[in-house]
Amino acid sequence: MKRTPTVNEVNEFLEIASDFEDPLELLRESLSNAFDAGAESVDIRIKSQPDGSDIIIEDDGHGMNEEDLKSFFDLGNSSKTDSIGYKGHGTKIFYKSDHIKVNTSRDGITLSAEMKNPWEKLNNRVLPEYDVTKTDAPSSRSGTLIRISGFKSGEGFSPESLTYPKVHNYLKWKTIVGSTAHFFEDDFHEMDITVELDDEIDDSREQLTTTNKFEFPSEQLLPGDGEFPAERMCKLYGPNEITLNHAEGTSTVEIMGMAGGKAARNELPTFGRHSTQFGVWLAKDHIKVERLNEAISHDNEFIHFLFVANCQDIELSANRGKIRNKSSSVYQALEEELSHFLSKVTHDPWFEGYLEARRQGELARKASSESTKAHDRVDRIKSRGRFMPSNDAEILFGLQRPSAQSNAPEIFVEDYHPTDDITAIVRTDGTLQAAAVSSTLVDYFDDEGPLEPAELLICWEWGDTDELREIQRTGYLGSDVDIDFERSKVSYETKDGISGSCDVIIVSKYIDTPMVEEAGTVSSTSTD
Amino acid sequence: MMSVGSLTDYGINRDLLQTYLSSPIKRRAEFHGFEGIIFADSGGYKNLTQGALDGSDFELEMNQARVFEMQQQLGGEIIVNLDIPIEPDDSFEERCRKARLTAENVDEFLELSKDYPAARYLTVHGYNYSMIDTFMQELQSILGDIDISATFDGIALGSLVPKKDDRELLINAVQGCRDVMAERGFDDLPLHVLGISNTAIPLLAAVGADTFDSSSYMQAAINGKYYKSLLSTVRVEDADFKDCSCPVCSSPELRSRMNGNTQYRKDQMGPAAVHNLYVQMTELKNIRERIQMDGTDGLVDYIENTIGRNDSTRKHAHRVVNESLGGYF
Repeated sequence: MKRTPTVNEVNEFLEIASDFEDPLELLRESLSNAFDAGAESVDIRIKSQPDGSDIIIEDDGHGMNEEDLKSFFDLGNSSKTDSIGYKGHGTKIFYKSDHIKVNTSRDGITLSAEMKNPWEKLNNRVLPEYDVTKTDAPSSRSGTLIRISGFKSGEGFSPESLTYPKVHNYLKWKTIVGSTAHFFEDDFHEMDITVELDDEIDDSREQLTTTNKFEFPSEQLLPGDGEFPAERMCKLYGPNEITLNHAEGTSTVEIMGMAGGKAARNELPTFGRHSTQFGVWLAKDHIKVERLNEAISHDNEFIHFLFVANCQDIELSANRGKIRNKSSSVYQALEEELSHFLSKVTHDPWFEGYLEARRQGELARKASSESTKAHDRVDRIKSRGRFMPSNDAEILFGLQRPSAQSNAPEIFVEDYHPTDDITAIVRTDGTLQAAAVSSTLVDYFDDEGPLEPAELLICWEWGDTDELREIQRTGYLGSDVDIDFERSKVSYETKDGISGSCDVIIVSKYIDTPMVEEAGTVSSTSTD
Repeated sequence: MMSVGSLTDYGINRDLLQTYLSSPIKRRAEFHGFEGIIFADSGGYKNLTQGALDGSDFELEMNQARVFEMQQQLGGEIIVNLDIPIEPDDSFEERCRKARLTAENVDEFLELSKDYPAARYLTVHGYNYSMIDTFMQELQSILGDIDISATFDGIALGSLVPKKDDRELLINAVQGCRDVMAERGFDDLPLHVLGISNTAIPLLAAVGADTFDSSSYMQAAINGKYYKSLLSTVRVEDADFKDCSCPVCSSPELRSRMNGNTQYRKDQMGPAAVHNLYVQMTELKNIRERIQMDGTDGLVDYIENTIGRNDSTRKHAHRVVNESLGGYF
C-alpha cells in the first residue's frame, strides 16, 4: 500500500512566521515584493498601537493577479524561481498580526483580500482563511496597498526601540534598498522609498526618503590635516565581476566595496557599533545576508572595510538570515576567491599608506601629549627646590649622582617615569632636558619612540649600524631622519615640515674607558 | 650549476673526488651534447659551516687559490670568488669583518683568473639595501674604487639560504641589491641569487633577479617528494606519472623505477630528482617567456594564478604585484 506523507499546514505556517524574529524583516519582504513588481516608489507608514503596530505599505508596481495574490498568502507556492522569495516564505511574516488587508490593481481589475485574526487562529491551530473580491479599476491604475493591523512586533516598533536612523540603517544593510546592483547593471531599476514613522515613535523628522542604491562615501586618497589624518581617507574598490570555477560549474561574484577611516564610514547610514556592520558581506539579489570577515587576513581589522560580494548561487535559510549551502563547492570557491581578492586590497600600497597615516596620527597625538607632560614635569622640578626622588629608579639615580665619572657629561637625573616615552627629565649644565632612555638607538626606533618631545636620547649603545642606516634611508614614521654618529645627534624633519634635533648620549662610551684606566692603576699599585 | 662545496656531498672518498676533478664536466661522455653553461660556485657557504671540504676519508682546507683551481678543473664557464657568507645572528662588526675577508679573496680571485676564459661573478652579501651597501663599502676599502661593471660579468647574491623561507626578506634583499647596483652604476650586470629555487622565484624575478640555482629538486627527491608543480609535491609513491609529459615520466623503465621496482632507493629517487629538475626548468622557462612579453601583464597573470593562489605565498605575491608590477588597483 502506497502512502503519501502529510504536512501539518498550521504548524508549518506558524513555524515559518515565527522564524522571522526581527519585526523589521516585514519591511525587507515588502520592499523586495515592490521591487519585483517593478515599482518606482514605495511608501511605508508605521504606527505604534497598544495591541500591536499598524503598517501600511503602498507601491506603484504592476500589482498582483489572482495567482500572485494566492502566492502571497500561500506557503511554498511562489512564482519566483531563483531569486530571494522563491520559497514563498517571506510574506508569511504578515501572519503575525490581527488583520491583513491587500488591495491590488492590475490590468483594469482590483483585487481586495482580507484575512482576519491570522495569528490568533494559527495559535489556536486553525488555518486562517481570506476573502477575495474583484472589482473593476481604471486601466491606468496599478499598484498594491497592504495594510497590516496589530502586527506582533513585540518591542520592535515601540518608540523606545525604533528611530529613523535605525530604520535607515536596516534598509541599507538588510534590504533591497541597500542594493549594489547599480554598480553592475546599465538598466538598473531605481526605486524611491519613503518611510514615515508615527510621531509617537520618532518625531525627529517628517519622514525618511531614500532610493534603492547603496552609495559609498566619496574617495579621499590623501591624509587630511589635524589630529586624525586618516579618518576621512577612503578608497573604493570595484565594481569587479569575477567568474568562479567550481565542481558544479561556474558562478559569478560581483564585488564592490571600500576601505577607509571612521569619518568616511560615518557618512554611511550606520547605527550602533561599526564592528557589527563593517567587513565583508555576502549578498544575494544584492541584499546583504551574512558576513565572511575571515576573508580578510587576521593581521587586518575588518572594521576598515565594507565589501559586498553578490552571488546568485548562494542559498538562503528560510528566514534569509543565513547561507545554508556552505558545504557546497560554490561557497568554497566563493570563500577562496574573496580571500584572494581581499589580499590584493590589503596589499594595495594605498591601504598600507592609510594604515601608516593612522599610525602616524596616533603617534603624533601621543607625542603631543608627551610634550605637555614633559613640560609639566620640568615645571615641577623647577619648583621643588632640591632633588626629591619619587620612585625606586630615581632613588638609584640619586645614589649614583655623586659618583658620576669625571670624563662623562655631567648629567643629573631629576625624575624617572618608566612608562612614559620621555623616561627622564635630566639636568645638564644647569638646564633641564626631556630625555628618552633606551638600551640602543635601534631599539628606540623599533619601539616607535617619538622624536619631537625628546631633547636627549640616552642609550647604552648605538645598535646595529646598518639598521640605523636603513632607517636613515627609508625614513622614520614619515619623517626624514639623519643620524650624525660623530656629533652624536639625530636630526629630523616631519612630513609637515617640522624639523628638530636631539643629542644622543652613548653611556657605554663613558663607562668602558674609565674601567680600563682604573684597572691599570690598580695593577701598577700592586706591582709597586 | 656546480658548486665546489658540493663535491664532497654524500660522504665521497678521495678517489671519487679525484675522478670528479679529472676532467672538465663538458668533456665527460655523460655530458655529450650538453649545450648549457657550467656555473661553478665557490662553496663558500659549506666552507663557512664546515670549515673545510669534508669527505669520508679526507679533509680539504679551502682557500681562494684552491677553489679557483677546482673551478678550472670542472671547466667552469661562470665562476665566482670564494666568499664568506654572513649568518642571521652576525653583528654589524662581524659582517664587516667577513666582507673584508671576502674582499681579500676577490682581490686574489681577480689576479688568479685574469687569463682564464670564464665569466666572473662577484658575490655580495646582505639581507637589505644597507647591509649590501655596507658590504660594497668594505669591499672597496680593500680593493679601491674598482669599476665593477668592467671587472665582473655578473653579481651573485649570497647568504640567503638560512632565510630561504622568509619571502619578505628575500624580496627585500633582491630589491636592495638592485638598488645598490643602480646607485653604484653596475645595474647593467645580471643578478644571480645563490641557493634559492623555491616558490619565491617568480617574485624575485619580478623584483630584479635574473638567474637562480639550488639543489632543492634533488633534496626533494631524497626526501621522497615528487614535484607536481613549483608549488606542490606529493610522495613519489602517490604520484600519477601520467599527468607529466617530461622525459622521465614518459619512460616506462624510469616510471617503473619510481614505482619502487628497483633494488636501491637511489635508483628510485634519481629519476624523481631529474623529473623535479625538469618541472623547475619548465616553470623557469614559462616565467622567462612572460618577463620577455611586452608590459607586465604576462608575469602578473603567472603570479596571480600560481603563488597568488597559495595561502602561504599569497600576500607576498600581492605585495610584489602592487609594488613592482603596476598594481591591481
